[in-house]
Amino acid sequence: MRLIARYAKECEAHFEIITVWDTKIEKESVPKHDPRIKTLTKQHPAAIWFERKMHDDYGIIIEDAFDNRPLVHQEYFPSAIHPMQKAFQAKSITPSDYKPYKYETIGGDGVFEVAVGPIHAGIIEPGHFQFSQAGEDILHQEVRHFYKYRAIEKMLEGKTLQAAKPIIERISGNESIAYQIAWRDIVLQATRSELPEQSRKYHALLLELERMIHHLTDLGFIPNDAGFGAALAFASKLSEEARRQLQRLTGHRFGFGAIDFESHTMQTEVWLHYLETLEEELALFEAWIIDIPSLWDRFDTTGILKAKKAKKYDTVGIIARASGLTLDRRDEPFYQTHGFVLQTESSGDVAARYKMRLKEARNTLTMLRNFTVETSEAITLHTLQDGEYFSFVESAIGELFMSVEIKDGVIERFFVRDPSFVNWQALHLMMPDNIIADFPLINKSCDLSYAGNDL
Amino acid sequence: MIRFWNRRFRTGILTENPEFDKEMQTIRKEMKDLVKKRFAGSLAIRMVDSGSCNACEAECNALSNPYYDLERLGIYFVASPRHADVMLLSGVMTFNMTPHVLDAYKQMPEPKWVISLGACPVMEAPFEQTFAIKGPATAHLPIAYHIPGCPPEPIEIIRGLLAFLKGI
Ligand code: SF4
Repeated sequence: MRLIARYAKECEAHFEIITVWDTKIEKESVPKHDPRIKTLTKQHPAAIWFERKMHDDYGIIIEDAFDNRPLVHQEYFPSAIHPMQKAFQAKSITPSDYKPYKYETIGGDGVFEVAVGPIHAGIIEPGHFQFSQAGEDILHQEVRHFYKYRAIEKMLEGKTLQAAKPIIERISGNESIAYQIAWRDIVLQATRSELPEQSRKYHALLLELERMIHHLTDLGFIPNDAGFGAALAFASKLSEEARRQLQRLTGHRFGFGAIDFESHTMQTEVWLHYLETLEEELALFEAWIIDIPSLWDRFDTTGILKAKKAKKYDTVGIIARASGLTLDRRDEPFYQTHGFVLQTESSGDVAARYKMRLKEARNTLTMLRNFTVETSEAITLHTLQDGEYFSFVESAIGELFMSVEIKDGVIERFFVRDPSFVNWQALHLMMPDNIIADFPLINKSCDLSYAGNDL
Repeated sequence: MIRFWNRRFRTGILTENPEFDKEMQTIRKEMKDLVKKRFAGSLAIRMVDSGSCNACEAECNALSNPYYDLERLGIYFVASPRHADVMLLSGVMTFNMTPHVLDAYKQMPEPKWVISLGACPVMEAPFEQTFAIKGPATAHLPIAYHIPGCPPEPIEIIRGLLAFLKGI
């Protein structure tokens, strides 16, 4: 079974622990006066961040966990506060005394540590990486995040789904369309409404365009991190052009506000013409980049994630597929009839993740053609019904999971698991046998979201 | 490889529509002069994200794509605050990031300026005040100039940088 998410919610007399697997959803109640649960980390190591977060959020004690350090709450965060509890309503907190964080490191003769972050050298989001080094060789790495923690889950409580939308679409800017589609599916379930085929196609087109932008960006940045700047110049031109198409279609370069229940018209001629040029350029790019041996020297066998480990750590998305797992939320009839073909690689290294992006970009191009519609239809939603709703979307990074509980017409509990949240936990597995100079390359080949992870 | 070079020569320098190009040209000229006069030919920017949604970073990255190519104006994004004249601050000031942002600011040599980028740092993005957000950046840092937008488009960032340069 694959672990998708594990989170808590507060009820009248107890906390409910919800564990989402690929095949079922399990619920467990624990009393508020003594909330304790058993860890799942022995079988599913990636459960640890979920569990540490649950402790920070609600004060739930994880028995027999190998790691009890705070996760979201950092050095100055008052340890007595568990802000997801309903009773906590403060809008500001006073920093507590500095409590040092004990990094996971490896000791030994001549082994030293390298601390990277939270502010990095490039234009990139903040996060911290702690390396244990033997000379150039990486022995171990710990990924530490949540610098961007904005408390989105709490922020959304008490809001209507409509009022929550502008915030949800800004949780992770480069996955905005995916987040909006997850939101859309929750609205549709909660109002028992159906989306007409044309609108589904239009939304899927926008999601594929977002994926295309993501892949094009990475197709440039990954070689750039191996010192091959020409690829960045080429691919960033393509991603800029794709972004402008997204703007032309939605009025926004990142598609904020794009997914709704209104009717939209595409200028199909301009669009199809754009796809033609993109196809030509992409083919040229691929023929060129595939043929640069010094670049592939850097990519091949760098940052390997073996299939067994990828599975054990419940990874998703490009990372999982590059290691051979057949996992994609688009692997279903609607996408398949529009040209979706599941892509995988087997070597699990930077090269595999790069080739995955090339292959997926090509497949996405086919779908962008097939999803083209003249106009999408407007629909009127039925009345909203209270309840607990779940949605899954394949974002450009991987499977996105969202769950919303509605009570009295407003959000009672909002939870979202960005694909990055599980994938970040597998990053350290790619480090041993690599040198620290290759870390930026490995990290970029995964291209995970910090904002979506931290919330 | 040959095919690539053929294409490279055929494409030449990327141009936009003529209007945009004209604006870019004027901006470019003014900007180059100002950078030369005020910053001895190179303006060094340290981008710091204190809790963005990552779209603002993506737009800053877009500044170096062939359409905008900011570096040709003498403006560089540098790796350390110690090399920077300007801090370009994006995102809401989160509780967890604030000490690090202030640290980075302290590391910058004088004279130094902070430019806030996008709706987040001035608390105009849809994000509301929570315990995890430490209010607008103006409460923590002297903000010399603000570039509005959610996110500001690359051309708006360039215009903003120009207006900032004119103002100092
Ligand atoms: S200003 Fe808007 S685009 Fe920029 S980081 Fe904030 S929410 Fe994202």
